[in-house]
Amino acid sequence: MIAEAGHYALVLALGLALIQATVPVLGARLRDPALMNVARSAALAQLLFVGLSFTALVFLHVTSDFSVANVFENSHSMKPLLYKITGVWGNHEGSMLLWVSILALFGGLVAAFGNNLPLSLRAHVLAVQAWVATAFYLFILITSNPFLRLDDPPIEGRDLNPVLQDIGLAVHPPMLYLGYVGFSISFSFAIAALIEGRVDAAWARWVRPWTLVAWIFLTLGIAMGSYWAYYELGWGGWWFWDPVENASLMPWLAGTALLHSAVVMEKRNALKVWTILLSILTFSLSLLGTFLVRSGVLTSVHAFATDPTRGVFILLILCIFIGGSLSLYASRASSLKQGGLFAPISREGALVLNNLFLTTACATVFIGTLYPLALEVLTGDKISVGAPFFNLTFGPLFVPLLLAVPFGPLLAWKRGDLAGAAQRLIAAGVAALIAMALLWSFVHGGSTLAPLAIGLAVFVIAGAGVDLVERIGLFRNPLGIVWRRARGLPRSTWGTAFAHAGVGVALIGIVCETTWNSEYIGTMSAGQSAKLAGYELKLDGLQSRQGPNFRELLAQFTVTEAGRPIGVMNPSKRSFAARGSSTSEAALLTRGVSQLYVSLGEPAADGGIAVRIYHKPMVLLIWFGPLLMAFGGLLSLSDRRLRVGAPKPARQARGLQAAE
Amino acid sequence: MTLWFVFAMMTAAAIFAVVWPLGRKPRAEREGSEANVYKDQLAEVERDASVGLIGAPEADAARVEISRRLLGAADAERAPPAAARTGARRAVSVVALLGLPLLAVAFYLPLGSPRLPDFPLAERARTPSATEPLDNLVTKVEAHLEKNPTDARGWTVLAPVLARLGRFDDAVQAYRNALTYGPESAERRADLGETIASAAGGVITAEAKVEFERAVALDANEVKARYFLGLSAEQDGRPNDAATIWRAMLDKAPADAPWRPLVQSALARVTGAKMPAPPDEAVAAAQGMSEADRGAMIQVMVDRLATRLKQNGDDVEGWLRLMRAYMVMGDRDKAKGALAEARQALAGKTEQLKQLDAGLKNLGLDG
Amino acid sequence: MTRKQRRLTMIGGAAAVLVVAAALVLNALRDSIVFFSTPQMVTEQHIAPGKRFRLGGLVEPGTLVRGDNLAVTFKISDGSAMVPVAFKGILPDLFREGQGVVTEGALDSAGVFKADTVLAKHDENYMPKEVADALKKQGRWQEQSGAKSDAKPELKPDVRSDATPTNAQGAVR
Repeated sequence: MIAEAGHYALVLALGLALIQATVPVLGARLRDPALMNVARSAALAQLLFVGLSFTALVFLHVTSDFSVANVFENSHSMKPLLYKITGVWGNHEGSMLLWVSILALFGGLVAAFGNNLPLSLRAHVLAVQAWVATAFYLFILITSNPFLRLDDPPIEGRDLNPVLQDIGLAVHPPMLYLGYVGFSISFSFAIAALIEGRVDAAWARWVRPWTLVAWIFLTLGIAMGSYWAYYELGWGGWWFWDPVENASLMPWLAGTALLHSAVVMEKRNALKVWTILLSILTFSLSLLGTFLVRSGVLTSVHAFATDPTRGVFILLILCIFIGGSLSLYASRASSLKQGGLFAPISREGALVLNNLFLTTACATVFIGTLYPLALEVLTGDKISVGAPFFNLTFGPLFVPLLLAVPFGPLLAWKRGDLAGAAQRLIAAGVAALIAMALLWSFVHGGSTLAPLAIGLAVFVIAGAGVDLVERIGLFRNPLGIVWRRARGLPRSTWGTAFAHAGVGVALIGIVCETTWNSEYIGTMSAGQSAKLAGYELKLDGLQSRQGPNFRELLAQFTVTEAGRPIGVMNPSKRSFAARGSSTSEAALLTRGVSQLYVSLGEPAADGGIAVRIYHKPMVLLIWFGPLLMAFGGLLSLSDRRLRVGAPKPARQARGLQAAE
Repeated sequence: MTLWFVFAMMTAAAIFAVVWPLGRKPRAEREGSEANVYKDQLAEVERDASVGLIGAPEADAARVEISRRLLGAADAERAPPAAARTGARRAVSVVALLGLPLLAVAFYLPLGSPRLPDFPLAERARTPSATEPLDNLVTKVEAHLEKNPTDARGWTVLAPVLARLGRFDDAVQAYRNALTYGPESAERRADLGETIASAAGGVITAEAKVEFERAVALDANEVKARYFLGLSAEQDGRPNDAATIWRAMLDKAPADAPWRPLVQSALARVTGAKMPAPPDEAVAAAQGMSEADRGAMIQVMVDRLATRLKQNGDDVEGWLRLMRAYMVMGDRDKAKGALAEARQALAGKTEQLKQLDAGLKNLGLDG
Repeated sequence: MTRKQRRLTMIGGAAAVLVVAAALVLNALRDSIVFFSTPQMVTEQHIAPGKRFRLGGLVEPGTLVRGDNLAVTFKISDGSAMVPVAFKGILPDLFREGQGVVTEGALDSAGVFKADTVLAKHDENYMPKEVADALKKQGRWQEQSGAKSDAKPELKPDVRSDATPTNAQGAVR
């Protein structure tokens, strides 16, 4: 009954989405508040039913109900409970259900907390949200239904794949989806604005918190996925430029551009047309990512061609939404009123520059990701576009962007003073120069570009600091005033500084890891030791032991630094006899923000074992950076100014009195 | 029944969600507006200016700009008044009342299985084991082996069963595990090779051949391995090598070896002599049979083949095999009958007919 | 500046960035893409020694030889041709004889493919797509049942032995 109830709930959600997609639009036409309000209750009900449906599927997985085909194919009664739950979205059908659930969640959030929106705008936003939802409900019900049953239930499920039983793999898809799907809200706002034919500064303020939420989740999701690849895949790489990763990076780049252009629109009522376009593009890239990952086109163009139902369906959704929204944009954009004026050297100008570089970088990733697919479809040639391509295109585009980052917040709106900003950034520039000089004199080896890149990173971080110092007037005012100004500083300003510093921090990690990463690969037997980056790793011995469903070859290394023991590392190699597969479990030893990384290879005939040891300097900064960015985003989000527009009129009135 | 009751409740809730806002008394909606945002922006400018975050001239300019926007927004909002359209509301209510259940049922009925009860693990564990189908027993053994992968005996027992069930890939893995954790034997190697070949649809792949060779290396008299090595040679297009292998087997074989006829027929096939050629998959089964049984088995297989070809006559190879079988059994008339049927079934398919004619030349069924 | 001039400045700036980006992309596409070949293509087309490409196929059973100091040699075949491969380093977990593999490197003058990267299948059900497509073309491939997995089924590079640490990531799809 649970299975059928979940199935039926999903069908009802489709019905509600259809109503939510049409009635509010009609209501907005007729100016009938009741009809427009249907959007709200329908969105909440839709969330309720999808939630029920998703909960039902989780329940079925947890109780191992193998009469449900999806559970039979992707679960196993002996899986640990945690992986029974995460296995729900570890497969195609379940992950699509999670996708629509999150879509409905965002719709529900707008319905519940969108009191500050004009009625017709909210109606339109929710209606557009329901269009997207309808398409995906149909997709799930018709091609990827997780609730199909088996008449003759098998006694045991099929999947107990050890590689997939990993907490990192389990947690990061929902994060990524929260980001991907979150951008549907800004898309819906953009379409709603185009339908209403009116966009103003207020629109940007309403969209910004939603975009920010999506961006925070996407940032965390990408960072988490990268860390998972780093520790799980056994060779210490953290970014591969493969299409699945690029599919999440593209919306992130576009979304970052959108966040910045929305600021211009909110403050200065400018860049309206561009911001709308970015909203559409960001979500289109999210849809594209869903298509790339879900259609199987990446696994094999051939497989896509032989079993095209799912792929073609998503492709159709993609075409309808991207094509439709862009046509609507083309027909309506020219009628949008022009906004405020600004000089090229101004805060607006800096943000335009940011947008320019971010979207261009996004475009290069787009080309690098889709060119091989296109070429294979057109000519049959198989090529791979790998890291060198992206390093050659993406890198050079990010350098000017990062150089400009500290200038942006220091320039005034409308007409800025570049010389003045440069003067105030002297401190940051000096810090960068010192960093470079130190690196050049004390660190040997590696690319000569590396100190320059680190100097750039220091400049960005110090620049973020300078911005704060300038605003609170540190060193110029008595401490009391400084304190008062720091308290009065909007949280979003703090957020900006943290996020910008996060970029610099991540850059330091990336440059250090790729430049001064050292490795040792060789065969070692018990008693031997390897020296790497000032550490000595002694292989104490190897031992076999029996795990719950695998045999494990466990190695023990004692790590010493200058003769002083600092830790023990236990990498292992597990073989799952029942399925004839094996996995390597790397061992990590953290020293500050650097890490030692050991993974095992094949045992050699003479009793030794192939060993791979890396020293990865500053590697943790790669993920601290995004954490800092997300924290900055969170600070901005908590800024009361983003929440105003008055859910409760009474409180807002008080706010106004206080100001007057 | 409960299920339909639950469905009804859910549908009612969904309809209620649509109808509820339509039926509510119109009251002053707390609607957000652009004006609120601009008022708030003004307040913000004041605040920033008072703390000294922005200078007085900038604050003034910002105030002017925001005020202009505020006026514009106020203008725009005055435009169309809200209107209650009772007609439209009624129509929507009707659509929700009728449309939602109709749509839900229309989608659910073809996709859902309302008659199937849930079947969670806890409930299933109570079912008596005597009635458990083979599949489930296999699953239990597999589960046991998942935990105790070094149980070579378990793998040895499981492997042939898996092969019987047609799960050749799993059977191959099981044989491999049996060999890894148990003693190596020529017999198991040969079984492994056979399963690999079955997995490949009867083709002796390089991988399978390796296993047979290892088996022969362990025990030069391993019958199955040697037979399959011969078959491999035949499949590679080296009938002479195949014949050599099989002849050697027959030379050494005791006269009463149960597999003698099988190898003889294989040998006859490659040397062109007239002997029955049972399909590969039946070879193993035929090994332990008496002469009479085997004759009956061949008869059954031939009949089955004939029936299949009557239903689907596209299979040229099948027709040729059938005719060859009839010839071998000494039934020339039946063979001719089959030829006529084949020509009829393949009428109009030039390609296949050509193939048929080519095959006939080797068969000696002219006229 | 007038409104028009401002607009022109911006459009000019944007155009300049786009031109630079386009130049970068074209340059990178010329230099850093890597073609995929099967052993058959290698024998038929006489690829010049030293030119980097990816070689994919099945690891021919019985050809894997482990030498000293992590050096390994094996042969990659696609049913109609076979190419010897030399690699130094640790092979991925899922590398096995008889299974699909993709390697990246270049031929030496003796016709041995010196691989610096061996791409592992990340998921055991997953066949590198180039290999699968190439084998399908030759009819040597039967659809595997297990294409359902949701682990990101992409290739992950293994180690390269001789490269500097800076670019130890190798080239990935």
